[in-house]
Amino acid sequence: MTFAGGEIKACCAAAYSSATARFLLGDSFHPGGAALTSRLAWALHVGPGDLVVDVACGPGSSAYQLVRETGCEVIGVDLAPPAEADDPRVSFLRGDAEALPLADASVDGVLCECAFCTFPDKATAARELARVLRPGARLALSDLIWQPDGLPESLASLEAWVGCVADARPLDEIGGLLQEAGLVVDLTEAHDDALAALLDRIEARLEVVAMFAADGVAVGRELLHEVRAALDRGLLGYGVVIAHRL
Amino acid sequence: MAERRTAKVDRDEVFLEYTKSICPICKTVVDAEVNVRDNRVILRKRCREHGLFEALVYSDAELYVAQQRFNKPGTIPLEFQTEVREGCPLDCGMCPEHKQHACLGLIELNSGCNLDCPICFADSGHQPDGFALTYEQVEFMLERFVAAEGSPEVVQFSGGEPTIHPRILDFIALAGTKGIRVVMLNTNGIRIARDAHFARELGRLKPHIYLQFDGFELETHLAIRGKDLRADKELALARCAEEGLTVTLVCAVEKGVNEHELGAIVRFGVLHPAVNSVAFQPVTHSGRHLEFDPLERLTNADVMKLVAAQVPEWFRLDDFVPVPCCFPSCRSMSYAFVDGETVVPFTRLLEIEDYLDYVSNRIYPDKAVRSALERMFSSSATPGAERALLACECFGIDLVGELDQLEQKVFTLVVQDFQDAYTLNVRQLMKCCIAEITPDGRLIPFCAYNSVGYREQVRAQLSGVEVEPVVPNAKPLQPLLRPTRYGSRTASANGRGRTNATNIGWRL
Repeated sequence: MTFAGGEIKACCAAAYSSATARFLLGDSFHPGGAALTSRLAWALHVGPGDLVVDVACGPGSSAYQLVRETGCEVIGVDLAPPAEADDPRVSFLRGDAEALPLADASVDGVLCECAFCTFPDKATAARELARVLRPGARLALSDLIWQPDGLPESLASLEAWVGCVADARPLDEIGGLLQEAGLVVDLTEAHDDALAALLDRIEARLEVVAMFAADGVAVGRELLHEVRAALDRGLLGYGVVIAHRL
Repeated sequence: MAERRTAKVDRDEVFLEYTKSICPICKTVVDAEVNVRDNRVILRKRCREHGLFEALVYSDAELYVAQQRFNKPGTIPLEFQTEVREGCPLDCGMCPEHKQHACLGLIELNSGCNLDCPICFADSGHQPDGFALTYEQVEFMLERFVAAEGSPEVVQFSGGEPTIHPRILDFIALAGTKGIRVVMLNTNGIRIARDAHFARELGRLKPHIYLQFDGFELETHLAIRGKDLRADKELALARCAEEGLTVTLVCAVEKGVNEHELGAIVRFGVLHPAVNSVAFQPVTHSGRHLEFDPLERLTNADVMKLVAAQVPEWFRLDDFVPVPCCFPSCRSMSYAFVDGETVVPFTRLLEIEDYLDYVSNRIYPDKAVRSALERMFSSSATPGAERALLACECFGIDLVGELDQLEQKVFTLVVQDFQDAYTLNVRQLMKCCIAEITPDGRLIPFCAYNSVGYREQVRAQLSGVEVEPVVPNAKPLQPLLRPTRYGSRTASANGRGRTNATNIGWRL
């Protein structure tokens, strides 16, 4: 099954800003939650006076966390950004990861959590992430990854796109794309446990939804089941890439 | 002379805290230390007259240490009733050094009871002497509580057996008129079971029923209550359901008696229409109780692990969250959505611990969610405490329309360890948020009331009969003990010395 890039992007943005997604995913929209964001914030090596862009920032939880933990300023970019920031060091811009609304070499760090897999044109997105970084500055990226053996057909649906799994790539392929875009990969590491924990959380929330609307959760349950099976077979996982611009 | 070692060796314990406690025999305030030995947290103290005492306070040291960060800064009450003179725990209560206000106020209406349980921290029963508070006394006590708290969340009527007090219904109504939001009735359920008219009157006043419920086996009933009360419990619960009364099943857990029944109680509670929470309390070795070994007693960690082991399909150890209003190792709670056999603990839905971590504060919590969680994970939590959380955007946005329906599906587990004269640690006591309201208007922290000697004092004042100081019925003390006329134990020669109080009163 194939979908047009625009359709996917619009659908993802709408889904992630929806009430249902907020309920199902909770405060942290990505595996690892705030603890993994902390790890990425540390890896960026930024501090007061630095500017970081959070690409596909969602509701902005990580942007605020980054500001509190490092003292830097953050611009969150998303196709559906939050209305306004309640911290002067945080601002939000509407924008597409494949055409970031930022100047070349204008930021001291890029954070991109659990979103790369949803960008239809990954080479372009990788070039954009590299373009906005000033020389020497770092990218901290976490994302769903899958093994080259392939995902089952059922995980290629539009729902699976929204659920981030349909176009996940192997960790070294993500690294390769970033390298082609002009970045040097410093570190890659697996965080599959974080994904398992998030699946548990989504499953628990689906159970609660089912107490009130038994028929509304069938698609979610099925998708969850497929994703968990893929995780158990080692086909799917979660990973972190830290890179810097030369 | 001690044998001289040839090589230095390490101590077999990790030194955690230096604190104060009391001698379990003469109740003199003594210095104490808390150590970790074999992953167990043990309080040790020495009385100049009665020697060395050790008691287990938490059976999982790792958990005990990890819980320290769930320690919310206390709230200062509107007024204190006493001043600091001797130091903790001799100035209760509450003195200005106390670290927390009273979340929950307890009023023991009488000393008489329609049972004579082998286990009763209040030393109540069919006794030749005792007391029953007057309407004026209760009104004054409620007013003192309101003066200290503003608008208190919860008052609990206890005893004795409060339902046999002739004016119990008046007292419940009175508390409502004083602006106290929830009245709890702590009862063995006998009168509810046997007096349909009384049950109907309760149904009109709607107190929350805090029902003694220790298990299903005959042996459990005989060991803890001295009687088979199974039919009464069943009937009382049926009447509560009929009258629309909500119930907490309160289970006193004693080692070797009913620890195997915890899972069955949880299952029963989840499925019973009247029950919306279960509270497990390791038996408080104050008042009347079975002989016990202070180093082998049950602690909160054991109870939580027993629940997790006996209902693994529903609860795990990490579904319990330490309560931050009191000292976090005193009380842990778990909330869950239940629907038939489906149970989803809130911990699976939300990183609750991130919001209630007041020390590492790594994650900046959403204030509305934090304050909603603080109401839930507290000693004043009553049915409906979860409403604010469920209304929070991050949690129930799709479900707000279903809020009333949602609340009926919320179930709570509470695990609460009360201190006795063996385990008393003033570090915990100073943050206690459960207060005994006394007829002279003091608010005495519950564990001080039970172990330091306040209970005996107040009872003597109210009944006009001298009350002997109660000493824990502990194995190592057996040679010194003899029964009091209420069935508890006292020491033949307890010294009653006041050789030292807060400190030894000397200088170099």
